[in-house]
Amino acid sequence: MNILGELALWISLPIAVWGTALGFIGGRRQRGDLVLSAERTVYVTFGLIALASLGVIDTFLNDRFEYWYVANYSSSTLPTFYKVAGLWAGQRGSLLFWLLLLCLFSVLAVWSNRRKNREFMPYVIGTLMVLQTFFIVVLLFAAVNPFERLGFTPVDGAGLNPQLQNYWMTIHPPTLYLGFTAFTIPFAFAMAALFSGRLDSRWILLTRKWILLSWFFLANGIIFGMRWAYEELGWGGYWFWDPVENASLLPWLTATAFLHSVQIQESRGMLKVWNMGLVVATFVLTIFATFLTRSGLIESVHTFAENTTIAFIFLGFMSLVIAVAAVMILYRLPLLKSANQIESFISRESAFLFNNLILVATTFAVMWGTLLPLLSEGFLGQEISVGPAFFNRVNVPFGIAILFLMGVGPVIAWRRASKRNLQKNFLVPTGVGLTAAAVLWMAGARVGLSVMTFGIAAFVLWVIGVEFWKGTRARARIEGEGLLPAFYHLVMRNRRRWGGYIVHVAIVILFTAFAAAPWYTEIRQTLEPGESATIESPLGGTYTLTYEGLSTNFNDVEDNLAWQAVALLSASKDGVPLPPMSAEKRGYIRPAGSTSTEVAIRATPVEDLYVTLADVNTRLVQAGVNDPTQQTATFTFMVKPLVSWIWASAFVLTIGALIGMWPGGQGIPSARSTGAEARTPSPAPTGD
Amino acid sequence: MGSNRRFMIGLVGVAAVVTWLVWTGVSDTMTYFLTPSEYVERLDADPSFRQVGVRIGAVLVPESYEQGAGELEHHFLVHDADDPSVTFPVRYVGVLPDTFNDAPDMVTETVIEGRFDEDGVFDATVLLTKCGSRYEADPEQLRAMNEREHPAG
Repeated sequence: MNILGELALWISLPIAVWGTALGFIGGRRQRGDLVLSAERTVYVTFGLIALASLGVIDTFLNDRFEYWYVANYSSSTLPTFYKVAGLWAGQRGSLLFWLLLLCLFSVLAVWSNRRKNREFMPYVIGTLMVLQTFFIVVLLFAAVNPFERLGFTPVDGAGLNPQLQNYWMTIHPPTLYLGFTAFTIPFAFAMAALFSGRLDSRWILLTRKWILLSWFFLANGIIFGMRWAYEELGWGGYWFWDPVENASLLPWLTATAFLHSVQIQESRGMLKVWNMGLVVATFVLTIFATFLTRSGLIESVHTFAENTTIAFIFLGFMSLVIAVAAVMILYRLPLLKSANQIESFISRESAFLFNNLILVATTFAVMWGTLLPLLSEGFLGQEISVGPAFFNRVNVPFGIAILFLMGVGPVIAWRRASKRNLQKNFLVPTGVGLTAAAVLWMAGARVGLSVMTFGIAAFVLWVIGVEFWKGTRARARIEGEGLLPAFYHLVMRNRRRWGGYIVHVAIVILFTAFAAAPWYTEIRQTLEPGESATIESPLGGTYTLTYEGLSTNFNDVEDNLAWQAVALLSASKDGVPLPPMSAEKRGYIRPAGSTSTEVAIRATPVEDLYVTLADVNTRLVQAGVNDPTQQTATFTFMVKPLVSWIWASAFVLTIGALIGMWPGGQGIPSARSTGAEARTPSPAPTGD
Repeated sequence: MGSNRRFMIGLVGVAAVVTWLVWTGVSDTMTYFLTPSEYVERLDADPSFRQVGVRIGAVLVPESYEQGAGELEHHFLVHDADDPSVTFPVRYVGVLPDTFNDAPDMVTETVIEGRFDEDGVFDATVLLTKCGSRYEADPEQLRAMNEREHPAG
């Protein structure tokens, strides 16, 4: 299986090259037979890469430690579940996994378009095969081959890092990668539109659901990563503005911008070049994120010149993509002229445009902060870095502005908002927002930016709520339906719009949860068994936690545990007993010397009680001594309001995105969009 | 055309705000990010640099960890990744990250923030250690580990 897999990877290279050539030549010469052959190569590479992936999993399952990748990321004691997930545990497997998903989406795109959109398909296939070729070349020639052998067979592997032995860590990378790779399809269609010259709104309609799919996976992938950090890293946070986190955020930001600006193109025929640019930028950022998450370039640029080949290959490829796209956009500029012009500052176009500006500005700021060590080293000769303080300072104002626009965009009129439109739609919601902020301020919430966020959140929710209510009521009246069926039909009739509003609600929930961060409370205390600590909740009430004692365990080979110390705590809030909690520290047999902190979390809809065992006398635990007089332990106790809302927002977001993506003909928007383009007399072309 | 001009003003306004936020953000929160060698060089050239808080990217010296006298007080050594002879002691008070691992054969990259105290000990207020998925032992280390743990094999 492993030999077969390695062979399959090698065979896939000429086939991918062949597919690239067939696609482009078939498209250029309009040769249907060549295009048909090109389509077949897509299916073949998928089969081959699937075989290669199975081969890697096979090396893990059979403990083939003569393979470099297995020796470094597995050990005989690793649970089978994590052995399978070994495919995406490290850089080498991750790149293969990326390629596998790319092949999978290529097959889906080719298969679903086998009888339609033939004018795009040759170039779509050509573009996808270029990407496949790139990843195959990287895997085979950039010193990251997962089938590389060590030259000797270790008795056991180094073991998987315990931080990665967590449920969220097994689903976080695949989700993120699904998001990254799903975006290759819109990119391929965009390139096909440029190559074929069919630059009307057709390619946008074809890729709409793909973009939403990618966006949805990215959003969930990012939130899963936050959940992993929160549960596994033990410092109580969920976002640290780490380069790797930032890298995954960047394409999501530009994809969000695109999801909005594309609506201006659909309904007003504007921003064509801008949208093309956003698609290319998002795609390049997905490649950049893949590269950054698995290379460690930023943190270790001057400490370790690890694998510079791969850095140059990736940077070269990204530059090539940007160059080709830029040349094609310039070449096709006459076809990308704007059909309209913005008429008023106070209009929906304008709201969308500002949304785009802010999202792109955020992308820029995050990228700047992330790459600062590299840039300053290159230009100033010394490295300068910025931490979370920088990112929070810059991005909080952007976030608040985006939140505000979320309430404005849906109800402000297209083209030119009249005074009446503004009054009718915004007077009451503004009042609601201001009242909410005032009430919270008087209730003692004295953090300006947070109260502002809460107020704007109330404003947005009110606007969206009124939209739903008006739509439902109108439908109920016209169709004579009950409110519930009317609501259902309303949403199903224009899924993108109402699904989008539900996603907005999710973002409001998310931002509200973020804005509660200033109220996170933390104390650290050293306790003897029998002693108690108290921590006050910022929302009222006092938790009392009593340390009951330490239970230890050591040399549990089956579970790969060298030692384990579990501190038991009984908990109560204002005298009312709560379920007991147990905070834990573990040492693993493999990798030798590695430890992990297992936090205790009591999550409620309003706040989390979060307990970590910060320090115990590990020397004694390791020695197997269990002396009750030596059980002093240091704990960190935290109360974190609204953290559950973050996870809840992922759920709401999923519902909204699923409604938006639900398959089924939605011919109406396309008809309307071309109609709008035709209807509106186009003034002098401006070229965006 | 009036709305167009207003647009340009809005655009320039947004760009200006972004630039201002990024610029002041960087200048208020930036720290120097140095290797131990670079840091020692800077200190030799300019002793007042001792007062400046810095961020150091270094490697934890294996088996150098010692528990300090105070609560959650930790002592260890770090060295330059490229030049192991450049090394200095670090004191850190706080919770050790899980990825802090001073076992032999482990390459634990650390980022510390702080400054030297009078005794020549680097007083770290921040300690980050590199997430495990990104350190990859080289084959020789793997071989050494295997030979140590399985002498017969």
